[in-house]
Amino acid sequence: MSAYAAFVRSGFLTSFAYRNDVWANIFGKLVQVFARVAIWLAVYAGATMVDGISIQDMITYALLGGVVMGATRYDRIVRHVGNALKTGDVAIWLLKPVHYPLYLLAIEAGASAYTFLLAVVPTIVIVALVYGMYPPTSLFHGVIFIAFCALSFLIHFLCAAIFGILAFWLMTVFSLEWLLQSLITLLSGMLIPFWFFPEPFGTIAAHQPLAWLVYYPSAVWLGRFDIPQTLFYFGLGLAWTVLLAFVLALLWRRAANRITVQGG
Amino acid sequence: MTALIEARGISKRFRQHKRFPGLLGAFKSLVTTEYTEVTAVSDISFDITAGEAVGYLGPNGAGKSTMIKMMTGILLPSAGTLSVLGRTPHAERMANARQIGVVFGQRSQLWWDLPLLDSFTLHQRIYEIPAARYQDNLKRFSALLDLTPFLDRAVRQLSLGQRMRAEIVMSLLHDPKILFLDEPTIGLDVVAKDAVRKFLAEINRERGVTIILTTHDLQDIETICPRLIMVDQARLIFDGELTRLRSALGSARRLTLEFASDPGPVPLSSATLTSDEGLRKHYLLERDDVSLVQVLGEVGSDRDLKDVALHEPDIEEVIRTFYQRRNAAAAAAQ
Repeated sequence: MSAYAAFVRSGFLTSFAYRNDVWANIFGKLVQVFARVAIWLAVYAGATMVDGISIQDMITYALLGGVVMGATRYDRIVRHVGNALKTGDVAIWLLKPVHYPLYLLAIEAGASAYTFLLAVVPTIVIVALVYGMYPPTSLFHGVIFIAFCALSFLIHFLCAAIFGILAFWLMTVFSLEWLLQSLITLLSGMLIPFWFFPEPFGTIAAHQPLAWLVYYPSAVWLGRFDIPQTLFYFGLGLAWTVLLAFVLALLWRRAANRITVQGG
Repeated sequence: MTALIEARGISKRFRQHKRFPGLLGAFKSLVTTEYTEVTAVSDISFDITAGEAVGYLGPNGAGKSTMIKMMTGILLPSAGTLSVLGRTPHAERMANARQIGVVFGQRSQLWWDLPLLDSFTLHQRIYEIPAARYQDNLKRFSALLDLTPFLDRAVRQLSLGQRMRAEIVMSLLHDPKILFLDEPTIGLDVVAKDAVRKFLAEINRERGVTIILTTHDLQDIETICPRLIMVDQARLIFDGELTRLRSALGSARRLTLEFASDPGPVPLSSATLTSDEGLRKHYLLERDDVSLVQVLGEVGSDRDLKDVALHEPDIEEVIRTFYQRRNAAAAAAQ
């Protein structure tokens, strides 16, 4: 087992340390998902179709948002990175034969797997039983949905880690966390899918990286795109991932350099 | 024997944004491009050979931690050349990291929420320690430092002393050639301090691990480190054996004579009277060649002598004398 696999494992196990968190987490997620479903029921106000989208589509969309966004927590990543840099604890990681950003990714993968299994899955099952939920449009859409989920996790992690590192130069960890929170709420499609955005904002929103957090995985499940379109957006998401990974690596090198030259 | 660590003219300067006092000053601080330069380490040179145990001593803010950080590769010196195990630590940080162990008294490297043993297994993965060697080291060190009963406990439930012992065990699991410790005994109680000191001295003696530790607790140095490097205000002020410092300063031994009945004044040619409480008299033995027998001979057997106590100067005193003389010399030079 490599060091990074061991980090995934300890990220997972660390989450077990606080047992009551599991219950608080499930409860919190239930409230969130119910709230989103309730909003759509109110918006549709008895109508079955709005702009060619059925109420059942929207409930499924709200539930999927909970699936793909429920496990990874940008606030945890921003805080973790930001505080490690500001307090200088990160120096410990400069002393080990380990790449810090990869270590972070591994820890977060472990913690997300934990939340996914113990909070997200039970929540979704409960809500789906209450309101009903569409299955994926086809086998292809169901399989590629999983690939889109992996992409969602990666982009989510990269954006949060970049914001965390920015705390080193810009401002307090807290304000960056809030900034990212508002960006994600609006631009991931979690609150409102982009097909309800007025043009040209819908098109713009559909091409920035946060769109891969919620919008694309959910839209793919619902069969909004045919196979070539789906593959195209998957490729575009991959390109964003590579670009963001490059930005993170660059920022991390700068920060590490500044720590070693300036002492933090 | 070539040196494991070679420091030649090492300096470290930090630039800090200039701050201005007051409300207007606060706004000025927002936009200023002025810097103040702080020198943390200034022109320090030394060699450390394999198997040595060196105490790096100085008051707070003397640049001790900065020096440790440069030797471990997390700080780049502003000037001078530094070589650790034949490498430039900053340029080859990862390669350097595999062969050194580092303990920060103020910063934990353990996994707070996991059982202690999990921190150790993670360390094994990070450093790719072969299983047999890992088990062997773990068993031996845990036994020596009495950690075995706590291995299943979460780190956050350990006491400070237990945690510090765990930090030291972890830093040694990958058989580092050099162990750096930055204030390892800070905040520990007497018993825990003693356990840590004895263990470090033993590791140094029996495994030949080179030890460099910073401290402002002189007792650490007395137990662990025959060699002492003293710094003050970023500069090196003494490098050598602790015993040499002691004899160079010739710190006097103190002698206390206790009598059953007041003998009146007892003048001695071999010792100077410092205070006379009647029954109890205190002397200073300034010369090293005067033996206790000589002194007692001079006192004679006709006086009603009840008890004799001879105090070797402790390290605190030696260093206090050192600072006093240096300050006096500096004052005289002005």
